[in-house]
Formats: sequence, structure tokens, C-alpha cells
Amino acid sequence: MVQLGSCLLRGRGGNVVIRFALGGCTNRPFFRIVVANSRRPRDGKYLEQLGCLDPLPNAHGEKVAGLNLERLRYWLGCGAQLSRPAEKLLGLAGFLPLHPMTVTAAERLRRQRQREQQPEASPADSTAGPGTDTAPGTDTAP
Amino acid sequence: MAALGARCWAALPTRLRQLWALPVRRALAADAGDGKAAQARPAFTDEAVQALLYKMTGLDLHKVFRPVKKGLKPPHYKLMTEAQLEEATRKAIEEAKTKLIMPPVLKEREPIDDVLAEDKVLEGTETAKYVFTDLSYSIPHRERFIVVREPNGVLRKATWEERDRMIQIFFPKEGRRVIPPTLFKDENLGTVFQQDRHEDVLNMCIAQFEPDSPDYIRVHHRTYEDIEKHGKYDLLRSTRHFGGMVWYLLSRKKTDGLLIDMINRDLLEDATSLITLYHMLHPECQSAKEAKDGKLQGVDLIKVFVKTESQREGYIQLALQAYEEAMATSSAS
Repeated sequence: MVQLGSCLLRGRGGNVVIRFALGGCTNRPFFRIVVANSRRPRDGKYLEQLGCLDPLPNAHGEKVAGLNLERLRYWLGCGAQLSRPAEKLLGLAGFLPLHPMTVTAAERLRRQRQREQQPEASPADSTAGPGTDTAPGTDTAP
Repeated sequence: MAALGARCWAALPTRLRQLWALPVRRALAADAGDGKAAQARPAFTDEAVQALLYKMTGLDLHKVFRPVKKGLKPPHYKLMTEAQLEEATRKAIEEAKTKLIMPPVLKEREPIDDVLAEDKVLEGTETAKYVFTDLSYSIPHRERFIVVREPNGVLRKATWEERDRMIQIFFPKEGRRVIPPTLFKDENLGTVFQQDRHEDVLNMCIAQFEPDSPDYIRVHHRTYEDIEKHGKYDLLRSTRHFGGMVWYLLSRKKTDGLLIDMINRDLLEDATSLITLYHMLHPECQSAKEAKDGKLQGVDLIKVFVKTESQREGYIQLALQAYEEAMATSSAS
């Protein structure tokens, strides 16, 4: 089968990306993990489908995701780029190392939750000294 | 990542492995240890054991090929010579033999408990766990990677139940549901047993569960117990489940009811094969030693067995007497 990736360049460039294509209905998203030319529309014609992700938890409380790792390795070997959500998902899956933005987002969330807890704590606790603000554990920068 | 639970598959001979679509074992020095265990105690899969169980199962063509509920079609008549009829019967027997292949009897699988990574940073970010399945087409299902990322950041291998569910979602198999039907719960099995539908339950169980899953083993044991309690052995005769039932009863030494049933139906050969199997499985019992010393055959074997091993001696003696009287009157007349 002839790969059409290069034929779609049309003098402006465009590369092969692995990204999410949104499907489903109103209030019911469903993502397909798809290899496509980056200049195609998000839900348009793609080269190959590599898997799927259901962002809503099912009856057993799990978000089901399928990944065709064999074909994923092939396309990464061909030089496909990954979109950021795709990278994050593969980091969660363990195929790639954990994405730094996942870690950063987690730490930001934790700091925000601590900040929310403190204004509740200090009016209740009037004898509280100048902030028993324990910094979230020593950040070991990668 | 080696096939999980590889040890329990290692003792099967190559012919049965190919039949049940399991990966064929390559000769390894490490398998020498399993060979010793198989010689000491006969397994379900030994050729001799399988031959005896198959003989006991019987081959009632009318039961094997009884009408299965399908779409209505008018009956199809053929005009045949004697030779063609014999040929057709022979082919039917071949087909029946394939239908009577016994499903595997395996030990319960070990639960999977393997953590691949622990990322404490992710704690509290998600509310639900992610289950990732590898959808590569050419890997056997037993070797497929299925991992779960918990909300507390731990990346672990999926449990057997999660694995079965995911594989059924992405690679659906006919007759199997993603969530097992409520029929297989203990309280509902009793209702079905009252309707004498043990064979249907077992067929559904084989379609739904893997042979080494605890649910498969539980349903099978429950069915066999119910049959043994009510003496409904004939329900499974000439089906592929008979061998498994006999194996279960033999390993728990509950063979009296079955023996009585066989003698009442004049199946002396089956009774002798049953006792031969009993001696193969429990070589240390007294009747086995006596049988080996005296090289007993036929009715004598049964009598020795009845005297030493059985609990319901009286019933079996009565049945034997009735059988001998029937033989005497039939040979006299």
C-alpha cells in the first residue's frame, strides 16, 4: 500500500501525528487514537487507527483505553509526532515515561488544595502562628 | 513477559495442547521436574486415563445429535443403499467423537499481583482508574499486556477478572458476555438443577469462563455435587462432561452412586473401568493391592472393591445380585 503522507504536503509542509480524534454524541465523548497528517481536520480522514479511549468511567469505575502498541512502534519509527494529550496518555500507560506536565499539574493541584484548606483552618484556629505552611516535599527536579 | 501461570500448562501432552489451542511446549531442561510429579500421580490428561474415561462416556448417537433449537427447516430425506448408510453412520460416529472431546480440567489460576511502577506524585489527580490494553493482533491472549493505573499513581498488572473483561470487550468471542450472566451465581444454579438442565449449564460455563478460572471450577463442582446427590448420572452420559464428572468423583472417592447406577444399567465394562481408574488414582488403597496381587477381572474386581473401599456396601451387593440373577435368567431362557 502506498503511504500518502508525502502526497498531502502540497508545498506547505505537514507531518504525520498521532493524536486524538473526538467522536461520540452530545455529553458523551469518545476518543480514537489515530495517525493522521497534521493538516487534516481533527475528525477527518486518517492513515490508521491505533486505539481508543473512553474518558467516562464504566460500571466498574475504570476508564477503558486500548492501544495497538505494535503499530504505534511502527509509526514512531517512521517519525510520527505525538500530540500532548497522546503523550500524557502513553505516560500514564507506562509506554513512555511520565510526562513532566502531568507531574507539574499534579503538584499545582496539590498546592491549590493546601491553599484552600489553610483559609478554612486559620479562622477556626485563632491561636495559629504565622502559617504552619509545610512546603510540599522537596521537589527533586528531573 | 512470560506467559503467566506457565507451570500449570506444562504437564499437558502435545496432542492435547494443540487440540485446546495452547502454545506447544518446547523441550526445556527445566521440565524434567514436572515429569516426576506426573508419573507419581496420574493426571487427567494421561493417555490411559483419557482412554478409560472416553470408554465410560459412551456413544449414544441419538443423544449426541439430538435436535438443537435452530431455525425451522423442512426435514431432508435421502435414499441410500446399505453401503452408503454404513458410510454415513461411520461419518456420524467420527463427528460425534469430535463433539465428545473433554474440556480441560486444570488447577485454579494464581492471582496476579505485580506492580510495574509507583508514582506517588499522581496521587489525588484522578478519580477513576485507567485500564490500558495492548491491541496488537498477533499476540496470544495469555501474553497480552493489560495494565491498570490506579488513582493513587500505582501502575500494576490487571487482575484475571479485569483481563477477561477487557479481552472480551476488544476481541469478542461468541457465546461469551462481558459481565457473566447471573445464572452462574450459587443461588440461581439450584433452580436450573431442578429442571435437570445440568448439561446446558456446563456448556454455557465452558463458553463463558476460562478453564482455570475459579468461577469455572466452582460451577463445575457444584454441578457434579448436585448430580451425585440426586443420582442423575445419566444426564451427562454420552456428553463431553462425563469424563470430568468421573474424574471429580474419583479424586474425592464418591464413586458408590455411580457404580450402583452402572450396575443397574448393565454396564459392567464401565464399572470395571471405573474401578481400574480408581486404582490408578489411589494405588495405596487395599483393594488396589489385592487386585494387583490376584490380577482380578470383571465381577471379581467389583466384589473386592465393594468389600474394602465402598461406603454403601449393601446397596452395591443388592445391585450385583440383581444383575447376576438377570444374567442367569436371560442365559437360561
